[in-house]
Order: sequence, then structure tokens, then C-alpha cells
Amino acid sequence: VRCQLYSPQRALQASAVLRRVSDEQKKEPLASSSQQQFDSHPADHQPEQEPQGPRPSYTGQGGQESEDYESEEQLQHRILTAALEFVPEHGWTAEAIAEGAKTLGLSVAAAGMFHSDGSELILHFVSQCNTKLSDLLEQEQKLVQLGKAEKKSTDQFLRDAVEARLRMLIPYIEKWPQALSILLLPHNIPSSLNLLTSMIDDIWQYAGDQSTDFNWYTRRAVLTGIYNTTELVMMQDSSPDFEDTWRFLENRVADAMNMGDTANQVQSTGEAVVQGLMGAAVTVSN
Amino acid sequence: PAGGVSLRPCSTRATLEGINKPVIDRIIRVDHAGEYGANRIYAGQMAVLGRSSAGPIIQQMWNQEKDHLKKFNELMVAYRVRPTVLLPFWNIAGFVLGAGSALLGKKGAMACTVAVEESISDHYNSQIRTLMEEDPEKYKELLQIIKQFRDDEREHHDIGLEHDAEAAPAYSVLKTAIQLGCKAAIFLSERI
Repeated sequence: VRCQLYSPQRALQASAVLRRVSDEQKKEPLASSSQQQFDSHPADHQPEQEPQGPRPSYTGQGGQESEDYESEEQLQHRILTAALEFVPEHGWTAEAIAEGAKTLGLSVAAAGMFHSDGSELILHFVSQCNTKLSDLLEQEQKLVQLGKAEKKSTDQFLRDAVEARLRMLIPYIEKWPQALSILLLPHNIPSSLNLLTSMIDDIWQYAGDQSTDFNWYTRRAVLTGIYNTTELVMMQDSSPDFEDTWRFLENRVADAMNMGDTANQVQSTGEAVVQGLMGAAVTVSN
Repeated sequence: PAGGVSLRPCSTRATLEGINKPVIDRIIRVDHAGEYGANRIYAGQMAVLGRSSAGPIIQQMWNQEKDHLKKFNELMVAYRVRPTVLLPFWNIAGFVLGAGSALLGKKGAMACTVAVEESISDHYNSQIRTLMEEDPEKYKELLQIIKQFRDDEREHHDIGLEHDAEAAPAYSVLKTAIQLGCKAAIFLSERI
């Protein structure tokens, strides 16, 4: 499985913010983690300060590292995960990130590490959902291999996978349209597209797709279309437990399966016609 | 013929641990495209020369290419590599090249074979070099496969020469043009 951890940028700024944070709060565990971060950060140009007294210096890979060492990226992931709790109330915004940072005992200034439009928060969420989906599909596959579960038909598998993934949006459904529009911003498109394509590829992989010809593209394009349209329907759906959405999904998947059959039929018909014409040509020439 | 590897999807995760995905992706994608194209070239040659004296030898070379393609299909699934978008194009271009060169006669077909197989051997050689530089141990299986295939292609090249490829009309022009085309195909298939 390709690990799609979205990693936020602005490392240097982040170090500076965290240092200010540690100065302000003088909280031991936080300070030690932020100290360690830029002691082991070769790119950090900030001069060393000593707000909390003598501390062993860390020389990156070679030097000693205490147990609560945490990379910048890990801290940012923790903040974003904590922020998700506040999204239903504040939306995908810097406020939610600030609230999340507060629950971790950080200053609200930690939200300054991220873009003000909430992009990283959304991308982090999407990446997390995709990972959860992969794990779910992996577990299901193990059950089938152990004989503890029935192997699903392709259309059933696709329906269940897309439904499982879309259900992860339910707690945030009110604010999801906002998230979708942010994901479509030009500076987010490479990342969001990347996350989308790898999720679709994952689903097909577990569905047992082994195509090595142009079908590889056709199948992924079709499933992407199904996923996106179902997601949009879900935004507008007010039926109990989104029944309408799942029915829409079922119909779209059925359409896709039919399309495959129809394509085959067209091909066989075409071949039969060609043979018929060749036969006619031979007859006429005789 | 290469033994069919039965691949359980769960083994894919293990295969993918710790490999240089971008490099392996490219290698498998372009090799798959190459074998696919070679298949189509021989198919085109057989369409024209199938019933001539060169038929059997072309068929034999074609059968080996079919085995190569089968192997790369398996590798593609195992390493979760995306096939090149240009496959439909190589389908037609390969067939046209094969048929076109065969219309120049048996020697023309052999000249085409020599040109293509030389390009492919060189290409496999540089891939072997890349993989050796990366990590010969980690990529042992892949290296073995590519080495084997490189030897097969070299053999095809020699067969082509044996069958009077060099006596083909406009041999050097033909060879240069085809090899240029191969270079372009390799460049594109690696990327898209």
C-alpha cells in the first residue's frame, strides 16, 4: 500500500513558532520535544536559546534521543488530527486547527504553521480516510484468504468499498462542500488528485484487478466518476442514513458493469460483421 | 517458457517494501511496453510473410516475445505498476512497422528485427546497470529476468543478421530510422 501521508510545509517557520510557544508556556514535555526538533534539524538556522536550563544536545542520527522525540511532521499530524474534532463546529479553518492545538496543550499560535484556508487539515483528513480504507480492505482480504468470509462479486466489492469510504465523511458532512471547493483550488489540485487516484487504485487492487492494458485506465476512470458523482449526491442527500445515496451508487456500479458487457458485445458484433463481409467478398470474387 | 508465478494480492505488500518505486515503475512500464510492441511487430511480419519461407523462424521469435510479455504482465501486477497510456498506439504502430518492413521482403523484415532487437538489448543493458548500481541483492529476481530477456533479444538480433538483414534495401537508413523510433518510444513509455 502506498503510504499517502500528506506532509505540511513551512518547516522553518514551524520551528520558530514552536520555540515561541515553548518560551511562552514553559511546559516541560512540549519544550523538550520542540528543542529536540530543531537540535536535530540540520536546516534550522536559528541560534540556540536556553529558556529551560541545561539540556543535552542532540546531534541528529548519531546523538542520544529521548523517548518523547517527535519529528515536526508527526507533531503537525497530531495537531491536525486533534483539530478534526472541532471541524463540525468551526469548519475547515484555522480556528479548528487552533482549537485542536489547544487540546494538545499548545498555543493557538501553532495554527500559524498551516495555510489559513485549512488546506492541510482537509488533505490530512482525506489521507487518513484513505489509509483507514486500505486497512479495512486489507483486513477483509485476509478474512477471505483464511476462508472466514465469502469472496464478493466485483460490483458488490466496489459498492461496499465506496460506501465505506464515503461513510467516513458523515461526521463532517455539513462542512464537506466547503472542503471540496478548497480541494479544487489550484495549489491543492496536485495533492488532492494524487490522493484520489491512489485511493481508486487501492480499491481496484483489492477488487482483484490485474489488467495490464488500457483497461487499467478505463476501470480507474469509471470508478473515479462513480466515486465523485456519489460524493456529490451525498452532499444533497437528506434521506435517513443516506439510503438515496447508496441506491444511486448501486445504480452507477450496475451501469458500469453493463458498460463492460456492452463493450464486449459491440466488439463481438463487430468481429462477426467483419467476418461476414470477408466471406461475402470471397464469394463474390469467386 | 518462464514459469507462471501465482500471485496472491497479499504478497504484493511484501514485494513493495523497501524498493525504489519510481525506478522500478519506469523499468517495468517501459519493458512491458517494449515487449508488447515487439509482439505486434512480429504479428505484422507474420501477417505478410507468414506463409513464406521466413514464416517458421519469425513465428519462433514471436513465441519467445509472447513469453516475455506474459512475464512482464505478471511483474506489472506484482509491483503495482501502471501500464503506459500509449499502449493502443504501440499496438497499431508496432503492427504497421512489422507489416511495412515485411512488405519490403524477407530481408526487410530481418532488417527491422535487427534494428529493434539491437535497441532493446542496449536498453536492457542500461537497465541492468541501473539495477546493479541500486542494489543487486534486492533486485536479484528482476535482474535475472532482464538478463535472460536481454540474451534472448541478442539471439533474435543474431538470427536476423544470419538471414541476410544487411542485404535489405536501404539497410542503414532503415536501421537508423527504426532505432530512432525505438528511442522515442522508450522515452515516452517511461514517462507516460
